[in-house]
Amino acid sequence: MSPIVSVENVVKEYPLGKLSVRALDGVTVSFGEGEFAAIAAPSGAGKTTLLNLIGCVDVPTSGVVRIDGQSTSDLNDAGLTALRLHKLGFIFQSFNLIAVLDVFQNVEFPLLLQGGMTKKEREQRVREIVEQVGLEKQIRQRPNELSGGQRQRVAIARALVTRPRIVLADEPTANLDSTTGTNIIELMKEINRKARTTFIFSTHDPKVIDQAERVIRMADGRIVGEESRLSEGAA
Amino acid sequence: MERLRILVLMALRSLGGHKIKGLIVGSLLAFGTFLFVMGTTMLENIERAMEASITKSITGHIQLVSKKAVDRLTFFGPEASSEQDIGVLEDFARIREVASEVPGVRAVVPMGRYYGQPILNTELDEAIEALEEAFAEGDAARIEDRIGKVRRMTATLREDFERVMALSREDDAENEKALAALERVTSEEFWTSLREEPEEGLQFLSFEIAKLSDDESMIYIPFIGTDLHHYAESFVHFEMVQGEMPPPGTRGILMSQAAYDMHLKNRPARALDRIHEAKTLDGRTIADDPVLQDLVSRLGEMTAQVTMHLGPRASASLDEELRKRFPEVEGDLDDRLAAFFELDDENFAERYEFFQKEIVPQIPLYRVPVGSTFTLRSMTKSGYPKAVNVKLWGTFRFKSLERSDLASAYSLIDLASFRDLLGLMTAEKRRELDAIREEIEVAEIDVDDVEAFLFGEDPVIEVASADSDLDLDARLESLDRAEAETPDTFDPAEIEKGTILNAAIVIENPRAVGEVVTRLQEVFDREGLEVRALPWTAVTGIIGQLVVVLRAILYVLIGIIFIVALVIINNSMVMATMDRIGEIGTMRAIGAGRRFVLALFLLETLVLGFFASALGALGATALLAFLGQTGIHTHQPFFIFLFGGTALHPEIDLANVLWGFVVIVVISVLSTLYPARLAAKVAPVVAMQGKE
Repeated sequence: MSPIVSVENVVKEYPLGKLSVRALDGVTVSFGEGEFAAIAAPSGAGKTTLLNLIGCVDVPTSGVVRIDGQSTSDLNDAGLTALRLHKLGFIFQSFNLIAVLDVFQNVEFPLLLQGGMTKKEREQRVREIVEQVGLEKQIRQRPNELSGGQRQRVAIARALVTRPRIVLADEPTANLDSTTGTNIIELMKEINRKARTTFIFSTHDPKVIDQAERVIRMADGRIVGEESRLSEGAA
Repeated sequence: MERLRILVLMALRSLGGHKIKGLIVGSLLAFGTFLFVMGTTMLENIERAMEASITKSITGHIQLVSKKAVDRLTFFGPEASSEQDIGVLEDFARIREVASEVPGVRAVVPMGRYYGQPILNTELDEAIEALEEAFAEGDAARIEDRIGKVRRMTATLREDFERVMALSREDDAENEKALAALERVTSEEFWTSLREEPEEGLQFLSFEIAKLSDDESMIYIPFIGTDLHHYAESFVHFEMVQGEMPPPGTRGILMSQAAYDMHLKNRPARALDRIHEAKTLDGRTIADDPVLQDLVSRLGEMTAQVTMHLGPRASASLDEELRKRFPEVEGDLDDRLAAFFELDDENFAERYEFFQKEIVPQIPLYRVPVGSTFTLRSMTKSGYPKAVNVKLWGTFRFKSLERSDLASAYSLIDLASFRDLLGLMTAEKRRELDAIREEIEVAEIDVDDVEAFLFGEDPVIEVASADSDLDLDARLESLDRAEAETPDTFDPAEIEKGTILNAAIVIENPRAVGEVVTRLQEVFDREGLEVRALPWTAVTGIIGQLVVVLRAILYVLIGIIFIVALVIINNSMVMATMDRIGEIGTMRAIGAGRRFVLALFLLETLVLGFFASALGALGATALLAFLGQTGIHTHQPFFIFLFGGTALHPEIDLANVLWGFVVIVVISVLSTLYPARLAAKVAPVVAMQGKE
């Protein structure tokens, strides 16, 4: 089975004055469909950079990142945008909801960008997913009226509403208390099980790492270890 | 289509989410539109009203002047003066004939501006004349009445003289002689002997006393020499107030009512009118207005202007009434009248009414009554004094401009008298001069030379043929005699053929001034006439430029507001972009393209601009519609002139409303271009770093 995400010998350097900082240093890793994988590392080890490259919000300095077989280095901004819109879902550490839109509108937003659906279809899809994350009562509330856990649920709903192949989550529980964090991970896991959506999330929280089927450990821009927790769904 | 809908939806949601920014920028845009629509509409209305004020009363739409004009013809403002050298138009009839054929021309009216000084009898002159008449009629009551008047005047005159002499303290033989004469006429014996033997006494009054009364300062009457009937027909603002139009072909003057009031009305009556107008029309008060206070204090010194005109009976009855009112005031009628003239805001209305009802009918209200003839003196263009007798046929005003400065600007005089006063040629005189020139073979002869010859010390006419047996002096003098006789009538057709200074053209469509000017110029050039056609705006001097100045001020103001709006909108949008970097990054990360972000930002301001500017335009339109109904009222002469009357009813021009709307929308979009580009450049990776 070919991997849905493959990262081959990727180097990422950021300019820092006259010097450059190597955030990733020859990383090779791949993820199969339906995986529920964690990238575990302390801060500054390069996990967010790796996630950015997989999430097509950045391109590698060298090496290749393939999403569903498509190399991101070959795409221009519009191509990358389209890839993000259609194949990827994002869950951010700080939720990143659009403040002026309510829950429904936030979740609806990617569908609006995609186009091609009637209003009725859109509404049905949004309600379904909002129900799934348990926020049907809050559907007309603005983000500032919700708790942190509720906001992250909205973010999950927004990431899933387009039915992407891959969902990327950058420290999704970092801003949540541990109970809520656990609930969020369980929700993600449940969706992963039902829809076979690939989940790749970065974290340094041991409790979250425990929930992952596969854990990739990083340090200093390199992959330093990998472990499989469960047999099912693993690559 | 779907995408646009989403964008509009997003823009609306985003606007709803940033209410303060929207409110600030929106108010600015709405105010800008409001100002633009109000300003341009008001200006256009004022321009139209002012154009009507000027073109329908004095200048017409186009003025014709000689191409040889040295100065630029100007009707108003500091440079407007009859000293301007604007040359002459030789044959008006020919010019009218040519101009009338140009399509769009409705009327061609001959014109010329000049001024004259009326030579008026002093009031004492008139009183003595009236006394002479009374003696001639032999009516005893009238004689007594008029003796009373003259006695009162001479008594006042004697008082004045004594006062002046006490102040000067100089021995002056002339003054001594005058005082002696005044002592004589204020004695009882003089009047007793006058009743018995009027001839000698009247002669003494006429020759020795009348000359002692000097009159008020010189009066200058600016006038336009024209064909009065043609003028009245062509200028629709013209309307008669008193009297009648002179019959065609008759000499005469029509004074503007405002100038008539200003120069010739009885002075205390005029002063009271001015206070009355200021109080009732402008809402000014004597208590607060130094000008009115000054008028009141001067009224106290004008009592003689009333009392000297009152006969014994009127005088006695007024005195009785005033004694009742002011029992504490000692002295004579003048003292009591002075007390009556101590006006304040409390007593003014009642005393004004009393004056109008009880005193005005007893005094001559104007120094030259309508229907009488007076002498108008002027200097000819070449500097010789010239006087003609003109009948004051009536007074006129320019409709709804009574209180404007324009109203008193010019009086109107017939062309024949005008030419006499200026020393311009009639066709007949020119023919005669031509004949003389031919006979004596004078190399060059013009009106200046003739005048110099007649009045000057050095004849400048060079006689080419010395042995000519022609009596040049006699011929030229006869030419002058014809002028001096000044018959009351003239041939209207003949008078047209003479020289004028300029001419006014009234056209069918006031919007087509430019076109008609061009057409006229073409025709004049083709016909070889030395005539230049000027649009009215070129001859109105400072007043014509007023609209240009107002327009410039408005545009500068709007320009400043636009620039300020541009900067504020730009700044607030840049700040909004900075605030929204996280939001933009998130949108970009979850699949929004750069163009989407760009379009979103532009659309946000476009939507805001659309509604704000619609609101501003609507507000301005509503206010204009309201003002159009109620009118903007004024009593200030300057605004009466600008508004073409005491009220301006602005008409809404849809083009201005649309323009204001479009301009503001465009401005709002322009001011968002930079921030929108900035927003579009936000990288999606920002979403990974930023906070919510």
